[in-house]
Amino acid sequence: MSRPTRRQFLKSTATIAAGTALAMPHVRKAAAATLELRWLGWEHYNVAKIVREFEKAYKVRISSSYIDANSEAYNTLRAGGTADFDLVMGDGFWPRLYAKQGLTQPVDYRKIANIDKVFPHFRPPGSTILQEEGGKAMIAAPNCWGGYGLTVNLNKIDKADAHSLSLLFNDKYGRRLSTSARLEENIALAGILAAHKMGTKTAARPDGKPFNPYVLTDAELEEAKALLIKQKRLLVTRWNDENTLERLLRAEAVWASPEWSGIYRRIHFDKLDGKTRLNMTHALRPTEGGLGWVDSWAISAGVTSSEKLELCHKWIDWRLKPENMAIVATDLGWSPTVDVRRLIPRRYVETLFLNQTQVIQDLYQYDAPSSPEKWERVWSEVQAA
Amino acid sequence: MSNTVRFWLMVLPGTVFLVVFLLLPLIAIVVFSFWRTESYTLIQDWNLDNYATIFSHSAYLTFLARALVMATCVSLVCLAYAWPVAYFIVRYGGRYRLILLLSTAAPFLTGEILRVAALQQILGPIGVVNMALTRFGFDPIEALMYSNMATGTGLVYLWLPFMVLAIYLSLLNFDFALLDVAKITGAGPLRAFVEVTLPLNRAGTAIGIVLVFIPTLASATTSQFLGGPDGALYGNILARQFGSTGTWALGSAMGVVLFLASALALVIVWRAVGDLRRSGIVIKGAPKP
Repeated sequence: MSRPTRRQFLKSTATIAAGTALAMPHVRKAAAATLELRWLGWEHYNVAKIVREFEKAYKVRISSSYIDANSEAYNTLRAGGTADFDLVMGDGFWPRLYAKQGLTQPVDYRKIANIDKVFPHFRPPGSTILQEEGGKAMIAAPNCWGGYGLTVNLNKIDKADAHSLSLLFNDKYGRRLSTSARLEENIALAGILAAHKMGTKTAARPDGKPFNPYVLTDAELEEAKALLIKQKRLLVTRWNDENTLERLLRAEAVWASPEWSGIYRRIHFDKLDGKTRLNMTHALRPTEGGLGWVDSWAISAGVTSSEKLELCHKWIDWRLKPENMAIVATDLGWSPTVDVRRLIPRRYVETLFLNQTQVIQDLYQYDAPSSPEKWERVWSEVQAA
Repeated sequence: MSNTVRFWLMVLPGTVFLVVFLLLPLIAIVVFSFWRTESYTLIQDWNLDNYATIFSHSAYLTFLARALVMATCVSLVCLAYAWPVAYFIVRYGGRYRLILLLSTAAPFLTGEILRVAALQQILGPIGVVNMALTRFGFDPIEALMYSNMATGTGLVYLWLPFMVLAIYLSLLNFDFALLDVAKITGAGPLRAFVEVTLPLNRAGTAIGIVLVFIPTLASATTSQFLGGPDGALYGNILARQFGSTGTWALGSAMGVVLFLASALALVIVWRAVGDLRRSGIVIKGAPKP
């Protein structure tokens, strides 16, 4: 076969380029014909099987973007993200903030058949956290729940220390502790301990409301800061991602850390299945009090077409389908707000805290700090100390 | 087509690019730095509070000082490491010079996160080094685990190829016969290097230092994953202002300070290099000394 000449090469290239240019508008039209649902949330919920089957069932395309903190989702929406995302996830009180700022729109529970399968503690009248403040409209639909409790290796840590927040500040376990890198939860958790020590948790609050670790007084913030500075020398690291913490816990390089219960469950599932000898426990609600979350799906204010709005509701309904929630529970270790007890191995039920969903009512729900600017300074001072 | 039209056709795309992607964002950052944020909302309220916060709170100055020390250390280590590597490649690489040079940049075939994750697997408490030590009954090296040393190692690994490249390109123009002259006139290898090779390649060296120093000053990812509880650098705190805390105005002021610090570093290097004609750089048409 003879080698092509330069003229032949240029001719072929020009033909291909012209062909591609002519075909592009049609390709674009074909792509545009497929409706796309874009969600912003936690990466671990991007479960391939659940997404693939939804795409197949409704002939749509799902795309997802991820956040590291609720405030990040909030800031993204505020910076024009309502046009870029159809659904957004939020924990605790955050969906109320989204709604208050007009960043999301009401969710019509009548269009979500599986909402009836949600445990009563996560929907009205059992819980009103996903209801518009002072109104009746629902602003989001629940997904999974948990705490920011303590996962503790009982082979290394005294049982008597395992259920107290003081564990995270105990010299006895120096260079064997870890916490997440998220400033809100670090300050809030230290704030609970600080208020507990100062006796201000149960006392009358300046705002007249019950104690909320995201609304700390200056004195409590100072005490929390002192605790966090003291804690620094006890830490191996502040983890940025769950995989890092899971590896450190499994290798026993870290003996205790607060986390969202998922890692504890995955390790404990392995123990129940005879795959590990690690003896882990999880203090969902530490003695002094703990943080909790119910993450949820909210619909962006940018969704204006009725077709897209319908699809958003279908997606939420799909995610709440018990069979799909069972996958999230057993494969990922997140506890669903839907009752999946009949669909998962019995030995997993207790580890997922599915028989004690009422605990959520005793946990301080994730919220926005009362003054992000003040909390920023406190966290900077902790990091610089 | 007239020369003027041709000139503008050539100049316009680059100018538009610079104005849209560099100048306008920079102006926006400067403007925001004089505003304030309250509960994640940017408020147009002209003041100097953000600058006052940076220069009056020791925390922010500590982060800047940490970043400056880290950038200086990383630049020096890269310099010490890159010189022999580049020298060897140019002097003895023969026809494999380009391949050898490209092999120093092999880690760049992967993303930054992947490279940092790989380093975590080597340096961390359950990394290869410490696992091997504990397997043989030794204590793990704490300095390697989530520490400033780990961050420094990661940054050297990340930016070393730039330093090697800059020195390599400089050495390509260097006349090695000058070293023979130095030897004939009685200079030992060290003296020949210090008095001949290094001064005549100072521009390349300075460019290498700038290429390492400035990105290290602003770096955030490496320290985020490899640094310990004391490992936060200026870049980490800066990134947080635009992420979780949403304190954009303070972040903008921090960005302006970082920009000025980088510009100052450039000026210092430019002044240090001095006369380019004696530095191995050949400027076409320049009068001979």
